Amino acid sequence: MADPLAAMAAAITMAGTGIATAWTQKIVGGATVGAMAEKPELFGRGLVLMALPETIVVFGLVIALQLLTKVAAP
Amino acid sequence: MLRPERMSRALIAGPRDKLPQSIEVLHELKLIHIVDHHGEDDTFHIGKPLSPAAELSDNLVKLRSIASILAIKAPPKERERIRIEELRQKVLSLELNISEEDAARKKAEGLLGDLERRIDELRPFASIGLPLEAYRGYESLTVIVGRVPRDVSGFEEAMPVAEVFRGPGVVAVFAPKAASEQALALLAQSGFTLVDIPAGEGSPQALLDVAVADRDKWKARLEEIQGRLEKMRERYAGFVVAAEEALEVEVDKAEAPLRFAVSDHSFVIDGWVPSSGFKALQTRMEGLGIYVESGEPQEAREEEAPPVLLRNPKPARPFEFLIHLYSTPSYHELDPTLFLFIAAPFFFGFMIGDVGYGALFVALGVVAAIRLDPKSIWWRILFVTAVGGVWSVLFGLLVFGEAFGLPFHPPPAHLEELSWESFGLFVPIPTLIHKAFGIGDMIYLSILFAALHLGTGYIIGFVNEVHHSKRHALAKLGWFMCLFGLFTLLTFSLRWNPIARWVWDVPLGWFPRMIEPLGLRGFLGVEIPFASLILILGALLGLFESVIAPIEVASLLANIMSYMRLAGIGIGKAAIASAFNVILLQNLILTGQIGFVIMGVAFLILAQMLVFLLGWISAGIQALRLNYMEAFIKFYKGNGIPFRPFGAQGTQEV
Repeated sequence: MADPLAAMAAAITMAGTGIATAWTQKIVGGATVGAMAEKPELFGRGLVLMALPETIVVFGLVIALQLLTKVAAP
Repeated sequence: MLRPERMSRALIAGPRDKLPQSIEVLHELKLIHIVDHHGEDDTFHIGKPLSPAAELSDNLVKLRSIASILAIKAPPKERERIRIEELRQKVLSLELNISEEDAARKKAEGLLGDLERRIDELRPFASIGLPLEAYRGYESLTVIVGRVPRDVSGFEEAMPVAEVFRGPGVVAVFAPKAASEQALALLAQSGFTLVDIPAGEGSPQALLDVAVADRDKWKARLEEIQGRLEKMRERYAGFVVAAEEALEVEVDKAEAPLRFAVSDHSFVIDGWVPSSGFKALQTRMEGLGIYVESGEPQEAREEEAPPVLLRNPKPARPFEFLIHLYSTPSYHELDPTLFLFIAAPFFFGFMIGDVGYGALFVALGVVAAIRLDPKSIWWRILFVTAVGGVWSVLFGLLVFGEAFGLPFHPPPAHLEELSWESFGLFVPIPTLIHKAFGIGDMIYLSILFAALHLGTGYIIGFVNEVHHSKRHALAKLGWFMCLFGLFTLLTFSLRWNPIARWVWDVPLGWFPRMIEPLGLRGFLGVEIPFASLILILGALLGLFESVIAPIEVASLLANIMSYMRLAGIGIGKAAIASAFNVILLQNLILTGQIGFVIMGVAFLILAQMLVFLLGWISAGIQALRLNYMEAFIKFYKGNGIPFRPFGAQGTQEV
């Protein structure tokens, strides 16, 4: 059973990185759609830029799993 | 296969009077990608369009305007055969008919708009009932008319000098000019908005009736015109589409000399021809008495790089659009389509990892193959996902033992969990990894795939650079070593996991086991094999690429970490599906009460569709992203010019 504090920490990590990713994607997404309206051929690059901030939440996932497996283990 | 089609430079020269025939042959062969002439020469200038170009373009413009008036969008099934010589007459008579109808329609639409406005203006006055002239011509009075959302109460008491007339939602106030400000302020409290007094005299109701009758008359007339246009569309759509296509071809041919070098008596066409087709072009042209010379592309002159025609085995060809979406490869580098063809569906399959969803993706692909046009973008998208679906079925069957989010067998320590066995279905294949309980396995596999994927990327990068720049090739090698060092270090650190243990003991059995003697353990907190450390220092070879390159070790580590999304999405998607299954199966369907069962089944279908779509979008985008963002930047330059042969309709781009 995971240490409750470690579980809380993991949850906060996921929430924080999730919000950070969403925030970034909001900004990038808006700009990308704007750019695509002008130049539809930018779709590929737009997609890449959109997916870029997701790395943040992936890092969050790694840290959360570390917290749950390493810290929580007695 | 790994390289784009070889190109030869073709220089075609001939006497000027043979230009039209030459264009005809080149257009038919569809082999040459013309390099435009820029006319900086005293003898050779940019050519002039052939004589019919002006008339053809004029016809094309007229046809396009007809197509837009008739709102012809999709090409009709039956197209007419077109003869260019008869086209002019037909286009002119059609234009005459249609422009008359179009003018009538525009007039009717304009009048209808005016009448609608007039009706809107008159309606409030009709409900008050005063004749229109009663609102005008006062010297000492001001007349305020407007709409009010609620009744104006107490206005007369507050302003006894004013006289008020009311209709539903309308109020007209006659007040002395001096008190107009005060009246407006009072009215504003009831949300009053001013309206203009319409022109005309007499009873507004009578005027309104006339306007409404007029409107109805014009509406009927407009419908009549639209009906006639509709009939014309049905009748002429086939002709318009076919004629437009035929004309585009003719205009393309007639305007081709604008791209050639032409002198008083001769012409020169410069372009690229696939080397395999050069002979055919040469034979045909020399048959006309025209000289063709070939040359090979020179690597040094980047600005004159040949156009790129990708050449891949048939199953990988639908993936080419994903490469063009990112950037067309340059002529001198390896074509990464095959790399993407293997990696992207593999990652997609790993993330979905479910027999049920995988089979649905394959089924969608089959439906697309039967029903859709192979040129359409959806055909290609569904083909790509179907290939991912095949991997997904394999992973779901052989590794994860899962269909529609429900495992084949309950996980070993959790025999109470729902599985297909609970429904009496026994699949005789053992489950290697239970997604929800094998998080360590999933993460290690992600790292392993990262190493293989990025490693292949560096090898391709090395091959690309080795002829181009030895220093850059050496840097790629350094990065490959660094990646391998990081991978061995991670495998060594994670060897508590059985898969990592196996990789460390069997494929990496030869790897030196000695721990570094420098005492970094006390500093970093982890043991580092000495050989891994040396390999990671291979990043110093990156100095050949740029001075700050070695700092990028951290970003390489981040790239590897980024592959954790494979595990993350795989587990996450399975967890969502499993949550829906457990809630709906246990709480509704398995209760056995008929109402609950029906509701449960309906919700279950909806939930499964949601998981399927979410999985498609997230796994699809992430699988592409790992290729575009993590791997391609290691080796891929892109910025090539797609091969567009003269005479080919449409392009190979998306």
